[in-house]
Amino acid sequence: MLPAMRRQLLTGSALLGIALAGCSSPASREAMVPSDLVVSQQHRHSLRVQTSGGAETSGLDSSNIADADLKAAIEDAVVRSRLFQSIVQGNDGDYELHVQVVSLRRPLIGGTLNVELETGWSLVRRADRAVLLRKSIHSNGTASMAEAFTFVTRLRLAVETAARDSIRQGLLAIAELNL
Amino acid sequence: MNKTIKLLALLGLVATLTTGCAVNRATGSVDPSTNLAALKTMYVKKIPDDDNTHALIADKLRSKGITVTTGVEPAPGGVDAVVTYIDKWMWDITMYMLELTITFRDPKTDFPMATGNSFHTSLTRLSPKEMVDEVIDNIYKGAK
Repeated sequence: MLPAMRRQLLTGSALLGIALAGCSSPASREAMVPSDLVVSQQHRHSLRVQTSGGAETSGLDSSNIADADLKAAIEDAVVRSRLFQSIVQGNDGDYELHVQVVSLRRPLIGGTLNVELETGWSLVRRADRAVLLRKSIHSNGTASMAEAFTFVTRLRLAVETAARDSIRQGLLAIAELNL
Repeated sequence: MNKTIKLLALLGLVATLTTGCAVNRATGSVDPSTNLAALKTMYVKKIPDDDNTHALIADKLRSKGITVTTGVEPAPGGVDAVVTYIDKWMWDITMYMLELTITFRDPKTDFPMATGNSFHTSLTRLSPKEMVDEVIDNIYKGAK
């Protein structure tokens, strides 16, 4: 093979590799919202949501869950399911929900990817600071080669599935409370 | 041409199965319903095949004035928190700790009262002691 042709092929191969690998993207807030959540009761109160323990995703990092995206997804799920009458920002609200990302176990390599997520949920009544719920929630997310060809996309899908399940479990637990 | 096809296939495989990384990340947070200052006795639950990480965590907590015991058995009664951890190791010339997550849990309910995480890839790797120090310091910085 001619040297020039070989160089072109190598460059093309490298570019293809980079294009296929792509950059990691964070879990999407829309994809983390459970779409068909039906709660056992709707609380006639307002809710403030706080999140922590998440992380931003840089281009070469694995998919993470950002605090702001998790907060928005939980708020959206609360609004859609009408679990609380309203969502408030700042320091107002009848109740405070705090959700902490405890651990997000992601594979570094693989075909079918399995992600394990643990979150901690606490619900506090603002009036007397009574703690009404403290719960550790474990969830899983899986994505196969049939769902996405590139690793980074599969990983994001698995993370989103785990986050969606976590939000579902957390809100269903709150719906069981008598507030 | 055969070599070229093999090279393309290899690159495609690598792109499909792996992700690159040159990342540093450190977080720490405490649930608002938790008073971290009230946790005076802790039990570090050792992972059975762990060599030393549990001891580094215990030493770091002792340096903060906390009474600490460790073991693989369930936590004894009377402790204020059970400390669990997940350490992920990688090889790059030598083994190094890629990621460490430490969690303080309610002994009765397993609720995660506080958690911290550090993630450093090979070029900016930290020693296990430095990883433990960073995570626990970040947890205490996260206390309101």
